[in-house]
Amino acid sequence: MSSADIVVRFKDVNFAYEDGITVLENINLELEKGEFACIVGPNGGGKTTMIRLMLGLLKPTSGSIEILGGKPRERCQHIGYVPQFSKFDASFPVSVLDVVLMGCMQRSFFMGRYSKTQKEQAQKALADVGLKDMAFRSFADLSGGQKQRALIARALMSEPQLLLLDEPTASVDVHGTEQFYRMFSEMNEKFTIIMVSHDIGFVSASVKSVICVRKTLQIHPVSELTGESLQKMYGLDVHLIRHDHRCTEKGHVCPHS
Amino acid sequence: MSAFIKDLIELPFLQNAVLAGILCSIASGIVGTWVVLRRITYIAAAISHCILGGLGAARYFSVVYDLPWLRPVYGAIFTALAAALTIGIISLRAKEREDTVISALWAIGMAVGVLFIFKTPGYNEDLMSYLFGNILMVSREDLFLIGALDVVVVALTLTFYSQTLAVCFDEEFARTRGMAVEFYYLLLLCLTALTVVLTVSVVGIIMVIALLSLPVAIASRFFDRVWKIMAASMLLGIFFTLTGLAVSYTPNLPSGAVTIVMAGLTYLMTLVFSALKKPVQKTPTA
Repeated sequence: MSSADIVVRFKDVNFAYEDGITVLENINLELEKGEFACIVGPNGGGKTTMIRLMLGLLKPTSGSIEILGGKPRERCQHIGYVPQFSKFDASFPVSVLDVVLMGCMQRSFFMGRYSKTQKEQAQKALADVGLKDMAFRSFADLSGGQKQRALIARALMSEPQLLLLDEPTASVDVHGTEQFYRMFSEMNEKFTIIMVSHDIGFVSASVKSVICVRKTLQIHPVSELTGESLQKMYGLDVHLIRHDHRCTEKGHVCPHS
Repeated sequence: MSAFIKDLIELPFLQNAVLAGILCSIASGIVGTWVVLRRITYIAAAISHCILGGLGAARYFSVVYDLPWLRPVYGAIFTALAAALTIGIISLRAKEREDTVISALWAIGMAVGVLFIFKTPGYNEDLMSYLFGNILMVSREDLFLIGALDVVVVALTLTFYSQTLAVCFDEEFARTRGMAVEFYYLLLLCLTALTVVLTVSVVGIIMVIALLSLPVAIASRFFDRVWKIMAASMLLGIFFTLTGLAVSYTPNLPSGAVTIVMAGLTYLMTLVFSALKKPVQKTPTA
């Protein structure tokens, strides 16, 4: 494996906030090109911290991080970052197209005008995420799932080699989640995807590897993700959602209750 | 009202007041929109109260050391910019207890101002006009200053519109694109500081924040694009200051207070209007 094919490399990474609370401990991780990885773990376990470290928004307390063969801060132009839509001001007065065009922003971008090519590219990105004809709608009027799609389109504007998604399917219904994964699988043919999720059951169907993080890190091939290893991570019994199993309308009868 | 229009044609100070109202509304409509979107009205309020320190100090030194060139507004500009940069750097560096520091600056600025005004020989009527504004005292020089600020605000907004929009919408994402987020934040705070200084002459230190935020709050109920809200806020600002001036003129009421009451009532009316129009809150379909 040549080092050019390593997209993300964490070497002995430790991270603690200023108040001294250790969030990540001795993290070693290598992800190859074309990977579709999912970071799972309990709240406060360090999932989002890992994403923020990869983006260069945080610096590790010790150890080194290499993204796309360089320092995170230098390579972040090639990372498409998709935050959670729920953290936005729900009534911010912008059009969907405005939001997508924000993906063109760069340090070199000076005058406040977008070019015709950029606008066409934005329309194409919107079509790619299934929001064709929505460009001139208000971002505030979109549903949660549509907002999330618009933010993915914004990330696509920088023609990323790596897509980082923070809980993209939070507050999207089951049907929508399925559609999202189909879209991610298609995109995964073009670039590496890393996403954060707490939605284990669904993830295992389409992702290639699962990274469990709760201060320390464990990597599981998808098939090995069992209730036991999850239980170890969360410290309590976690019920896996079995999507291969259908319950009767009267509800599911749990055999050991 | 007819007396107001008759005097407006004859009296230069009244013409100055009308021009000041129009020019101030241009800057406050634009900057107010950014301030509301970036959710820094509290910082804008703190800056406006700090200004009293600068106004008081400049007037004190001007009177005591006989420096006629040292106009209070220069002290105000200096203090406002210093306060904006201090608050800006504190809120960028230390994430915690930011509001405590802002409140402290707010109160210290006012206290220093009150002390200087108290120690300044002669009449101290100025304190009231600083706190509550006196648009009828606006001079020709003030108008040039306000006009110059308008040019700066409009030029910077046209140049950095998309960038400021991106930073206000999603600061973290803008950072990942390599944008100088801190620069835009400090620039916005400095523009806020300058706008606040000039708006103080119209409605005074205490009510500046209302003139910055109320027109934007009203406009956001009717428009869903930032530039439309800016344009509507400017027009609303002009409407409020001019009607405030006209309504207060004959009964000799403080015009700043009348202006804010007009703006506040209009805001309440739009709230009631939209509550009646949409009894069920709009929920977007999935």
